Amino acid sequence: MNSIIKALDKGIAQSGIDRKIISIPSDIPFQPAAVKTLGIDYFQTPRGRAIAFGSGLKLGNPGLKIMAVVGDLMTLGGNHFVHGARRNMELLVLCINNFAYKKIAGMPVRSAGTAFSAYSTFEEPFNFPHLGNSCGAVYTARWTALHIDELAGSIAEALNKRGLSMIEVLAPGPNYYKSIESIDPDILQFYFDNSIVKNNEDPRNVAITSEEKIVVGKFTDKDSKNTRGQIHAARSATDAFRRERWLR
Amino acid sequence: MSQRERKVNANPKDVLTGVYYIDGDVAAGYGALAAGCKFVAGYPITPSTEAFEAVCHRGPQVGAVFIQMEDELGSISAIMGAAWAGTKTMTITSGPGYSLMQETIGYGAMLEIPFVLLNIQRGGPSTGVPTKTGQADMMQSRWGAHGDYELIAIAPDSPQEMFDYTLKAFNLAEKYRCPVMIMSDECVGHMTEKVVIPEADKIEIEARRMYTGPASDYLPFKPDPDLVPKMAKAGQGLNLYITGLVHDERGFPVKDAEYRSAYVRRLVDKIRLNKDKIIELREEGIEEAEVIVVSYGISSRVAVKGVEIARQKGIRVGTLRLVTVWPFPDERIAELAKRAKAFVVPEINYGQVVFDVARCAHGKANVVLVPHGGAGVHNPADVADAIEFAARQETPIQGVYEFKTRLEKSVFEGGFKLKE
Repeated sequence: MNSIIKALDKGIAQSGIDRKIISIPSDIPFQPAAVKTLGIDYFQTPRGRAIAFGSGLKLGNPGLKIMAVVGDLMTLGGNHFVHGARRNMELLVLCINNFAYKKIAGMPVRSAGTAFSAYSTFEEPFNFPHLGNSCGAVYTARWTALHIDELAGSIAEALNKRGLSMIEVLAPGPNYYKSIESIDPDILQFYFDNSIVKNNEDPRNVAITSEEKIVVGKFTDKDSKNTRGQIHAARSATDAFRRERWLR
Repeated sequence: MSQRERKVNANPKDVLTGVYYIDGDVAAGYGALAAGCKFVAGYPITPSTEAFEAVCHRGPQVGAVFIQMEDELGSISAIMGAAWAGTKTMTITSGPGYSLMQETIGYGAMLEIPFVLLNIQRGGPSTGVPTKTGQADMMQSRWGAHGDYELIAIAPDSPQEMFDYTLKAFNLAEKYRCPVMIMSDECVGHMTEKVVIPEADKIEIEARRMYTGPASDYLPFKPDPDLVPKMAKAGQGLNLYITGLVHDERGFPVKDAEYRSAYVRRLVDKIRLNKDKIIELREEGIEEAEVIVVSYGISSRVAVKGVEIARQKGIRVGTLRLVTVWPFPDERIAELAKRAKAFVVPEINYGQVVFDVARCAHGKANVVLVPHGGAGVHNPADVADAIEFAARQETPIQGVYEFKTRLEKSVFEGGFKLKE
């Protein structure tokens, strides 16, 4: 958690955005008091509703920059993410994945089991960057708590994107990891040994599995699909259609 | 800022002054915009759809944002966010959507977020009867979310009142920083009547209680003497830390029983201690009455005819209409129970508000429920018969007496058969 706070601090500084206008609506798992030191506004929302809450903040005051920090996102708030990406809501979704609830990327080591599936699990986890990319996110990346500088760089880039961007962060849950034998207690060493940086990799190939190394990097970086011009074109087309229909 | 200074007139741009022939849903939509509502999120659901249409069409013309969210959970979360962005917000829903929203209504009560929820009740449970009326969400509106909290619920009975009380709901929400429910029903929502929208300078709006002092001194949950704290908005540079956990004045979570008691007590007390200012009742012929008809929403309009029939039979009947159903007028009902012989409560459910009437009557007066299963309104003759029954009853009745209506008799005794 500390490394994420550090990365947030660095990323916000790099992005050149005034801290005053940044708001972090967050899911339940991310509520360290240390977030107060960032000089931003922080809102803990009901479980899984950070992205919907953030959409309200953004539409209520379009001048704000919203960074929704979510945990077990794809179960409780999956629909909000899918639709946020579809409607190109200008949000940065920072998904902190500690494998604990195993729905986002899942505990990859089948034989070990997790705190919430004592006898291991046979469910397939989500490939989160791929999901984001296919729903229309303009920016997708994955880093671990080891890659603080890269993560900070991604946060800075993503904060300046127009559209929904998402960054998945693999971060340890130290107390909980002690109970899993196959994970090295020195989790950063685990990330070091088991991750490989592949920027611009096709998001379809970055699923976290037990056989392969964890692929990290920046996977998607494209321009917002709804430019002002396109919205204007769509609107005039609708108007023309209506005129034609009513005049007939 | 004092109470007096926070009252401002409505913005003339927001108010569609004039005389209209519109339905209750549309009137509520216009009322919200006249109150200065600038953000509405919702997911359309019968029978509240016309309210969406009104806001959707008229909203952008007055600078309000309307968004159709992916579901009701998203809608209510979005309005919480928009409220912290500094706008007045509302969501619109009915039956199943209302059930989905409950968790976040509790969150709104906890963080003292001012918002209005327009619930056009329909027949339930579950999908129920989407196109027909019901009044069976009353207890859900009071006890829906987990934990202790108090809120305000209003039950309008005509399109004109839908306009007036939507306006008032926004003012109450800002004044007490609490959720305000407009518990209307399908009949009122779809009833088309004359609605008079006054000039903007005749409409009084309660402005938000904003913090204006230096950033370093701001405590987001430090209450004013009337137990309501000042609000801030995101982006003001106040470095907010807001959480749904029980928190102290700074907003940081605390676990101690003492803090919890103090905080939750205040959430409850800010409504309970101001009850007299919030509660609005309409009483008629109550001084001499032997039987008092207690009703709200559409049932109160049906009861008018029933009362008329009973009065022709020489029974002294008074009516007490609950315009605000929650907080409940405990003291007033208890006081009337000492004088009157019985209360008759017609409502379109199998007993919800009637139990609160019985609680306050405390055995001093009989309490008769005129039930209705939904998908229709009462037959006024049933209300009249129930009044007559209550007037003739000399012995005390234990608990709530459920009156057998014509509909119930025809279903259970009169050989009613399901279609084959």
